[in-house]
Amino acid sequence: MKEMKNVIEVKHLTKSYKSNKAVDDLSFEVKEGEILGLLGPNGSGKTTTMNCILALLKFDDGKIKIFGEEMSPDAYETKAKIGVVFQEVAVFDELTVYGNIDYFCGLYIEDKATRAQYVEDALKLVGLEDNKSQYPKQLSGGLLRRLNIACGIAHKPKLIFLDEPTVAVDPQSRNNILEGIKKLRDDGATIVYTTHYMEEVEILCDRVIILDHGKIIASGTNDELKALAKIEEKVTIEVADLTPNQLSGFEKIKNVSEVEYDSGVLKVVYNKGKNNLSDMIEYLKTNKIAYNKIFAERPTLNDVFLELTGKELRD
Amino acid sequence: MTVSKAFWKIALKNIGTIITYTVILIMFGTMNISSGSTTTSYEAKKPSIVIFNHDEKVGVTKNFIEYLEKNAKIKDGYEDDDRLKDALFYDDVMLVIEIPENFHQDIALGKNPEIKTRSSAGYAAELAKVVVNRYLTVAQAYAAINLSEEDLASKIDGALETSTKVDVNSEVDTSKYSKPTRYFSFANYTILACVITIICLIMSSFNRLEIRKRNLVSRIELKKMNLILLRNCCIYALAAWVFYVLLGFIVLGFDTIWNLHGLLYAANALVFTACATTIAYLISRIVFNSGAINGIMNVVALGSSFLCGAFVPAEYLPESVLAIAHIMPSYYYIDANNKIMEMQNTSFETVWPILLNMIIVFCFCVLFVIVANIISKKKQKIA
Repeated sequence: MKEMKNVIEVKHLTKSYKSNKAVDDLSFEVKEGEILGLLGPNGSGKTTTMNCILALLKFDDGKIKIFGEEMSPDAYETKAKIGVVFQEVAVFDELTVYGNIDYFCGLYIEDKATRAQYVEDALKLVGLEDNKSQYPKQLSGGLLRRLNIACGIAHKPKLIFLDEPTVAVDPQSRNNILEGIKKLRDDGATIVYTTHYMEEVEILCDRVIILDHGKIIASGTNDELKALAKIEEKVTIEVADLTPNQLSGFEKIKNVSEVEYDSGVLKVVYNKGKNNLSDMIEYLKTNKIAYNKIFAERPTLNDVFLELTGKELRD
Repeated sequence: MTVSKAFWKIALKNIGTIITYTVILIMFGTMNISSGSTTTSYEAKKPSIVIFNHDEKVGVTKNFIEYLEKNAKIKDGYEDDDRLKDALFYDDVMLVIEIPENFHQDIALGKNPEIKTRSSAGYAAELAKVVVNRYLTVAQAYAAINLSEEDLASKIDGALETSTKVDVNSEVDTSKYSKPTRYFSFANYTILACVITIICLIMSSFNRLEIRKRNLVSRIELKKMNLILLRNCCIYALAAWVFYVLLGFIVLGFDTIWNLHGLLYAANALVFTACATTIAYLISRIVFNSGAINGIMNVVALGSSFLCGAFVPAEYLPESVLAIAHIMPSYYYIDANNKIMEMQNTSFETVWPILLNMIIVFCFCVLFVIVANIISKKKQKIA
């Protein structure tokens, strides 16, 4: 199998704000054509890392290479290949949707005809074709986010940074944005995606780096990360009443590591084993315990994070 | 090209503000130049006098009455005392004089006959008294040398007709330039307001942190982008200057300022417009909030206009205020306008003070750019 080139190489990156280490000896690579997820709670150092990579922030120590070239504020050749979508919406209120995309695309693409085509492509990608003559203030929050993305990717960059692009976005716009990002990857772009929504990372990312307090606490593919979790499966059952005897009976089931019952919802955690759900149904039948709903789920990245740090991703 | 295009699109979005300040200039500027026109000619006003003559109309008495007829407006028909009192109250009559019996003889004999007078309260009554006293003083002076009544009257006439001819040694009628001076001095406010507001609003859009970050990660060099923005700011300011000078030609009349004075007014305004641009550049480096820009513009434009004499002539301002005004470029701009108005002829001595003021304003430009760049560099150190 062909070895993918490193698009980004970060080595021993350290950045402090006075005595507070925002990024602590961070090292990682991003391969060509992949979507790398930087996952972590607020304040974990995701945005600081991104700003350091983009040479928007000076850092204390470490080396950053993009496309094999050392990144610096005047690395304009490298910057030409990069697109950035910042967490905050960065558009001109005085320009229309089309005008905004045209402006930011124009910072990279000088040829008028090519630019016009690129702007149309970006509008199509984010689904704003019908809004191109509107001003940002006339757009809803979700549409504004889509415009923000279009402005960052209109020039068809090879490397795209997306910093929490779906914060405060309605589900329809979120789906549209995620579909757009997948399309960008399919078109050959390498993407660094920072978020604290683990669901998005699971849907989108080929590889994930989990950050906490500026340090990498885990990295790998979704499956590799989930394998770090001690739990195998979680079974949730809606059951109206349980006697203390019945409850203690669940704890004695094979492979069960944890049982929690609260407000009519029973959560049973298995740390290993197969066919846990069918075994559970069998157990309920045998003991004549009535239930409404029952479902099983694999461990999430949140579970991994919880196990590694003792706190939830969104804490 | 893209940056310039965005600059002008944002400027067009603020066209309402530009039109507002232009209308302010036209309205107030025109009102300003028409309200305070300078009086250039004077007409002597004759006081109204009522004479009650109890003497014979001969000799000095006849001469005195003829003198009063020449130098005052003699009113008749006030025999009724109540009517006379009303006339005095309403200033229809300023002075009532009663020439006593034997007035002509007493004067000729060198006596000092008492002339009874009643007067109204206004300044014109004092003027009337001056007219009367002037005659009596001259008459008494000549009476002392024992002349016949006929000779005395003739001498008094001769003395009173003597006048002083005053030549105004001025080659240029400076009052001709009072209107252009007021127009260009008032432009201190409009140029500052228009240039600062629009440039700061546009720059605040480009300086918004999110937009700045996007521009910083793009392939356009920061220095190049700043130069493009600065160039467009200058073009806008230049356009504003051209507009105000052309408006000056329309409002003041082509003949009034199509000369060296007009050229100096325009050049002075150009240097000041450049200074306004640098002030805007400096403010845009400090204030990114478009809401605060209007407040700051008002403080700078209105404050300097009041303190430096754009609205009220500097000679009416207290010295302490003028002392403060010295630290503002507006003071030197307005002072240069006044010096242009007073310029009598074209020589190094007359033009140099004006040029010196322009140089001082230019120095302010340099100072503002240096301060703006220091602030800009400090702000660039985000990390």
